[in-house]
Amino acid sequence: MYIGRDLANANRLFYRSLVSFPLSADPKEATTPVPDLATDTGKANADATEWSFTLRDGVTWQDGKPITCEDLKYGVSRTFAQDVITGGPNYILGYLDLPKSGYDGPYKKDGQADFDKAVTCDGNTITYKFNKPWADFPLAIASLRAFDPYRADQDKGDKSNFSVFANGPYKLQGTWDEAQGGTFVRNDAWKQDSDPLRKPLPEKIVFQQGLTDDIIGQRLIADSGDDQFAVTDIPVLPAQYSQVTGPIANRAVLVDSPFTNYLVPNFKTITDLKVRQALLASTNQEGWIAAAGGDKAAAPSKSIVNPALVGYADNPNFTYPPAGDVDAAKKLLAEAGVKTPYKITFTYRSNPTRDKGASALQNTWNQAGFDVTLNPLPDTYYADIQKPSVVGDVFWAGWGADWPSIASVIPPLFDSRINLSAETKGQDYGSYESDTVNKLIDEAASKSTVDEAAKVYAQIDDQLGKDVAYIPLQVQKFYLLRGSKVGGYQAGAATSGYPDLGTIGVTG
Amino acid sequence: MGAYIVRRILVGAALLVTMSLVTFLLFFATPVDYARLACGKTCQPAQIEEVRKSLGYDDPVLVQWGKFMKGVAVGREFPDDPALRAAAPQLVTECPAPCLGYSTQTNSLVGTTIKERLPVSLSLALVAFILWIVVGVAFGVIAALRKGTLIDRGIVGIALFFFAFPTFFVGLFLYTYFAIKWQVFPIPRYTPIADGGVWPWLQNLLLPGATLALFYMAGYVRITRAFVLESMGEDYVRTARAKGLPKGVILRKHTMRAALTPLVTMAGLDLASLAGGAIITEAVFNYQGLGLLAGTAARNGDLSMSVGIVVTLAAFVIAANIIVDVLYAVIDPRVRVG
Repeated sequence: MYIGRDLANANRLFYRSLVSFPLSADPKEATTPVPDLATDTGKANADATEWSFTLRDGVTWQDGKPITCEDLKYGVSRTFAQDVITGGPNYILGYLDLPKSGYDGPYKKDGQADFDKAVTCDGNTITYKFNKPWADFPLAIASLRAFDPYRADQDKGDKSNFSVFANGPYKLQGTWDEAQGGTFVRNDAWKQDSDPLRKPLPEKIVFQQGLTDDIIGQRLIADSGDDQFAVTDIPVLPAQYSQVTGPIANRAVLVDSPFTNYLVPNFKTITDLKVRQALLASTNQEGWIAAAGGDKAAAPSKSIVNPALVGYADNPNFTYPPAGDVDAAKKLLAEAGVKTPYKITFTYRSNPTRDKGASALQNTWNQAGFDVTLNPLPDTYYADIQKPSVVGDVFWAGWGADWPSIASVIPPLFDSRINLSAETKGQDYGSYESDTVNKLIDEAASKSTVDEAAKVYAQIDDQLGKDVAYIPLQVQKFYLLRGSKVGGYQAGAATSGYPDLGTIGVTG
Repeated sequence: MGAYIVRRILVGAALLVTMSLVTFLLFFATPVDYARLACGKTCQPAQIEEVRKSLGYDDPVLVQWGKFMKGVAVGREFPDDPALRAAAPQLVTECPAPCLGYSTQTNSLVGTTIKERLPVSLSLALVAFILWIVVGVAFGVIAALRKGTLIDRGIVGIALFFFAFPTFFVGLFLYTYFAIKWQVFPIPRYTPIADGGVWPWLQNLLLPGATLALFYMAGYVRITRAFVLESMGEDYVRTARAKGLPKGVILRKHTMRAALTPLVTMAGLDLASLAGGAIITEAVFNYQGLGLLAGTAARNGDLSMSVGIVVTLAAFVIAANIIVDVLYAVIDPRVRVG
């Protein structure tokens, strides 16, 4: 469970958090955590290296037993079992105040005493001690499920990956089929007066997985039978846009997603700043977006940071028109004094849409004086481009903030100290190394408020733009259709742009 | 005959062992680092090594294969790391022989998942098989009996028309128009016989079954037509006609019998490969069979599941070959094994 859809659905239906995002359509309000299992949004010490939360009374698991502080502590400990619980966001490993010898989770328990000092329970109050400030920790709690309570007696390690032991208004009926989905019904042990947030409306929620995007679109357009009560996280395909007209269009919304697409030049091969600037100048965002489906699929971006995040600002270095400026690029290549056509390889994750988009980029880059070879890679893409040996002068990538703060965008992507090693590039796919940026990242991390940190992140983004450490491509949009008997429909920032199952009901 | 069958089974078993080894070798011959893939995007090198160890990928390939074979013979316990098993018994999964492994992607025993998915693929294969055999052979015979006429050309032409279309197109067309727009059929959803009886099971299989049948049917129309025509030109058929036997008897007892041998060969192998999953049709109709499982396992770098599926599918094909060979002897006394 990692992507925003799963995290949001879980939070709304069956896994409550200390703090959560409210059921609000307003983007700012929707990304401001409110108390959920906790009595307030947390108390931090002066430098935000220590956070405490107190559990509210009357919150229970689906078997009626109370949620305890120990459950919260056990939940966060599981992330440390990297040999059992794999593949998810593990930011806590870098934050929790543990000695270098570390902690390997609640199974092998090496370093358990150190963990017990870093995360403490005093009655119903849990305290986390960090090795550096974590000003936006409540945002991380609300966004990720890694800080939710987990009952030790329900834990079977990775075998529990498809199990749900609920504490929210719904519980899983039977088992979850990882290929097909499952059905959620009301959790009788959940009490409305213990939950200031959720409004459970449907008696039953059926998840159906595995349908093709095309079939989902066709079924929602046809709007017959049970599909009238259906919502989806799959955007309408561009080929179906022409069918979404008249009354069908009334059942569609266009939502800004938290995802951006961007390019990174390979700093090991394109070492000349002028060449990177020429690449930036001739990048055809419009062509890329047209291939994705046009303005219902994406919008040109002016930063790697999503506009929905706290402290967002357009990067002042990205001023070229969305269709690219071929003449400016030619001039920059001439100033660089390099031989043209300048040969580069563009490596990207292949699918029919991106293949078309890559051709559009290639076309404009070639006009500017580059000689572009396309290198489409399969679904193992990210594991492939993390290898230092991978072929490519420019890499495509996508990113969505793990919580609505720039702290979960810039450091994970451009802090060379945590990314680059002999074995891997981590997520710094362009092997970008800048002492200036690394120092500023430390400075941002030392800030005890999100707003103060955002000012430093704006400086970092500016530096990244000056170095052409990345080239922005698009902010993805979700063009979502729903059935005609869906009420209270909402899809916004609180649920990463996906339908908010906390507000949706049925009508008619 | 008995000795022949035993010999074939032993050769088949040796082939399965070899195929499992080849799958292991091929898996690790690709440039993908599966431990890195399983660990996720945010993993540091030390974490990747932890995952490599927990998946057992830190062992040499032959050692990993040896553990797999041992599991098949006597069973195994997961996770692979003995220290983790000792420290946290609640994590241990017992995998009795013949153990095909444990998938860390589906968090389940490979054998259990295959058993769950197999009925879907078998059902789909069976319905498609019956459709294409009945329709394909019948129209093949009609085309042969009406050789050179408009009916002959029409049947062969229509069969080729469907053969020429990609399966995903035919599947999407049938799903979109017959289920969604015209609502002639319900939205297809696999319904086990145990859950709803034979009719819901069959009704939901008709569209995906037809998708496959339309593709396979073309070959059977042409093969049946060709062999029936060949048989009709044989001396013994002419003799039967000269003796005044009714047309139906000649067709049934003499012409079709000769044409049956190549049809049985083709049908046996087609059915066996189809039982292992029709990935495109399963994907279009969201039928979670072995084909989709195999595709997902390959895409996600799920070694355990990939090996388990390869061995299962190979077993089908080998078994089908043996059955076809035995059927030869039943159909055609000339090839009966002494």
